[in-house]
Amino acid sequence: MAIPATNRRRVTAVVTLSSLLVLGLAACGGGSEASSNTDKPIKIGASLPLTGEFSQPGKAAKEGYEVWQKMINESGGLHGRKVELVIKDDASNQNTIVADYNALISQDKVDLLLGTFSSLLNLPASAVAERNQMLYVEPAGASPKIFSRGFKYVFFSQQATADKQGEVFANWIAGLPEDQRPKTAAYPTIDDPFAVPTVEGIKAILEKAGVQTVYEQTYAIDTKNFDTIVNAMKAKAPDLVVHGAVFEDGVGMTRAMRKADFTPHWLYQTSTPSNGDQYANAVGIQNTEGVMYAVSHAPQANTPGNKEFVAKYKEMFGGLPPEDAADAFAAGQVLKAAVEAVGNVKDQAAMADWLRKNSVETILGTLKWNADGSPIGQFLIGQWQKGKVEFILPKESATTDNIIMGWKPGGAG
Amino acid sequence: MAEGQGRVHPSQGERDHRQHHHGLEAGRRWLMIQFIQNLILGLLLGGVYALVAGGLTLIFGVMRVINIAHGAFLILAAFLTYTLWNGLGIDPLLASLVTTPVVGAIGWVTYKLMVAPIRTAPMASTVLLTFGLALVIEAALGTIWGNNSTSIRPGYADESFTVAGLFLPKAQVYGGLVAVLVLVTLGLVLTKTWLGRAIRAAAINPAGAELVGIKVAAVAALVFALGIAAAGAGGAIVGVLYPFVAGAHYQWIARLLAIVVLGGMGSLNGAILAAVMFGVAETLTAAYVSPSWATAVPYVIVFAVLLIRPQGLLGTRMREDAVPA
Repeated sequence: MAIPATNRRRVTAVVTLSSLLVLGLAACGGGSEASSNTDKPIKIGASLPLTGEFSQPGKAAKEGYEVWQKMINESGGLHGRKVELVIKDDASNQNTIVADYNALISQDKVDLLLGTFSSLLNLPASAVAERNQMLYVEPAGASPKIFSRGFKYVFFSQQATADKQGEVFANWIAGLPEDQRPKTAAYPTIDDPFAVPTVEGIKAILEKAGVQTVYEQTYAIDTKNFDTIVNAMKAKAPDLVVHGAVFEDGVGMTRAMRKADFTPHWLYQTSTPSNGDQYANAVGIQNTEGVMYAVSHAPQANTPGNKEFVAKYKEMFGGLPPEDAADAFAAGQVLKAAVEAVGNVKDQAAMADWLRKNSVETILGTLKWNADGSPIGQFLIGQWQKGKVEFILPKESATTDNIIMGWKPGGAG
Repeated sequence: MAEGQGRVHPSQGERDHRQHHHGLEAGRRWLMIQFIQNLILGLLLGGVYALVAGGLTLIFGVMRVINIAHGAFLILAAFLTYTLWNGLGIDPLLASLVTTPVVGAIGWVTYKLMVAPIRTAPMASTVLLTFGLALVIEAALGTIWGNNSTSIRPGYADESFTVAGLFLPKAQVYGGLVAVLVLVTLGLVLTKTWLGRAIRAAAINPAGAELVGIKVAAVAALVFALGIAAAGAGGAIVGVLYPFVAGAHYQWIARLLAIVVLGGMGSLNGAILAAVMFGVAETLTAAYVSPSWATAVPYVIVFAVLLIRPQGLLGTRMREDAVPA
C-alpha cells in the first residue's frame, strides 16, 4: 500500500526528530557521566559587591565564604572533593550581577552557587539561578519580595525575613509597663527592599500596642544629608526612633541627631549597629550606649561550630567576624548539608526538596524553611552597652540580664 | 532594668505646650523658624557643593574636558584627610592646607601623563578617559585604605552653634567657611592676576591666546591642577560631614555634573549659584515634600532651567570658532 507523499514527509520528520532527540539525550548522559570525575574540585560560584556602595558587606561575605572553604577543605572536602570558590565582583550593580551569575553558570560552569549580598542584588541574581534550576542559598536578602515569586530553588540562610526582623524587639517594647513604654514613634527609612519591610513590621506591632506614629518617611538610597530629616523629626519629638538603615545612612542619621541635639528616649536601627568597631568609630563610641538592633549572629553564641568559625576567622583575617561574614559562612553550611544529604552535586532539585523538608544546624542556630524558601525563626536583639554589644533578647539567647532602658548618647564608657 | 523608669515624656509635654498655650501667631512664627532653619541647612550644603563643583567647571571652561574622575579625586582627598587626622592627629579642616596642594599636584601629574595627549581629541574621548581614571582611582583607594566605610570625627563633629533657636552644625559652618575662602581665592586668581587673565584668554580663544604669548598647554595643566586642588579642599570637608567608601564618587559626580550644567558649563559664578540652589532645593524638598524626592528634585530643576536656558544659568553659548591650541 502506497503512503501519500505528505504523510511520507511527516513520517520522515518524526523519525529524524526522534533520532536527534535520542542522540541529544545520549550526549547529555555521556556528559554527566564524564563530569562526575571525583578528582576534580567542586566549583562553587558567587558574585559579591566587592566594590561600589555595598563593598562593606560584600568584603565581609567573601571572608565568610573563604573561611568556610578553608575549613571544609581541611576536613576532607565536600562529599570527598575539594571545594574551589569562583568569586566575581558585581560592583554593587544590579545589571552586573545578572551578567556575573549567567557567566558563572555558562562559562565558568560552576557545580553549585552561593548567593550575594543585599536584597537589591539577590532579587535579580536569584532569578538567574531559578531559570537555570540551580540551588541558590543566599546569605543576605531578607526582602519578602524574594520569596513571593513562587521560586523553588532560593533559600535564605538567616533566621527570618525582613518583615519579621524586628518582631522580637517590637513585642518587647509593646509588652513594657505603660509608664516605660514609648507613646510616640518616628520611622525614617532608606528606600531599600530590606529596610522598608523591617520597619513596617515593627510599626504594625507598635501601632497595635498604642504607640502613635508621628513621623514616617522614606528617603532615597543616595541621601547624604540627614540634617533636614532630623530637624523634621525633632519637631515631632518622638519617644522612639526606629530607623530603617543600611550602614552609611545609619551613621549619617545618628551624627545628624547629635548635631541637632535631638535625643529620643529610644533608638533602634536596622543593620548599622551590627557593624562592630566600624559603627562605634563612625558615630563615636560614647554615642552607642543603649542603641538596639536585630542581628543574626553573635560571636559568643554557643551554637554548633561557632567557636571553630570564630577562631578560624581570627586566624585568617584577625579580629571578631562581622555578622555578614557569619551569614555567608552559614550559607555554606546549608549548601554543604543539602549536598551531603542528596549525595551528589547534580540533583539540585532534590537538594531544594531536602532543604524544604529538613532543618540544618548552623553557627546561627537551627535553620528551617517554608515551602517558598523563607526561613522560620527569630533574630537576636543586640544592644550596645559600655562600648560593647550584649545580646538582650530573646531571653534564652541573652548574654546579659541587664537592659539599658533607652538611648544614652554621650554615656558609653 | 531600672534606668529610665517612671520617666515623664518631655515630648508629650512639649507638644501639648505648643498646641494649647501658643496661639496661631506663635504657630506661624514656629513655622517661619523651621523654614529659616531648613534654608540655613540648605545654604551650608550648597557651600560645600559649590567648592567641589567650582573646580569641575573651571576644568571644563578652559579645556572642554568633562572630568568624570572629579568625584574620585574628592574621595581621594577625603582618605588623605582621614590619614592625616587619624595618624597624625591633624584637624581635618586644617589638613586641607596639606591635601589641597597634594591632590592638586596629583592632578597636575595626571594631566601631563593622561589628559594632555588626548586633549584635542573629541570630547567623548576625554569622558571615557576620565571615567576609566575614576575606576582606577576607586580601585587604588580600595587597595590602600580598604573598602570599609570611613568616618572622620573631630571633637566638634557632633556639636552645633545655637543662635536664636536655630542650630548651625559646627562642622558645616567651618566647612562652609573653608569653601568660601577657597572660592574667593580662586575668584581673585581668575580676575585679578596675570595668570587669571591668561586662563580666561586660553578659555575664550586658545589659538588667539597662543598668538599673544600665552603657553596654553602650560596654562591648561595649571588649571587642571587648580580644579583638582579645589576637589582636594572639598574632600577634607566632605570627609568630615559624611562617611565615605571608595565607591562613593559615583554619587558625587552625578550631583556635580548636574550643578555644573545648571550653572552654565565653564562659569564659576554660575556653578556657585547653581550649587547653592541645588543644596537649598534638596533641603527644602526633604523638609516640605518628602525625603524620598530630595535627591531627585534638584535634577528636575536642572531639566526645567535647561529647557528655558539651554546654556545654563550664567553660561554663554559655546564658541563654534574657537579651536583648541
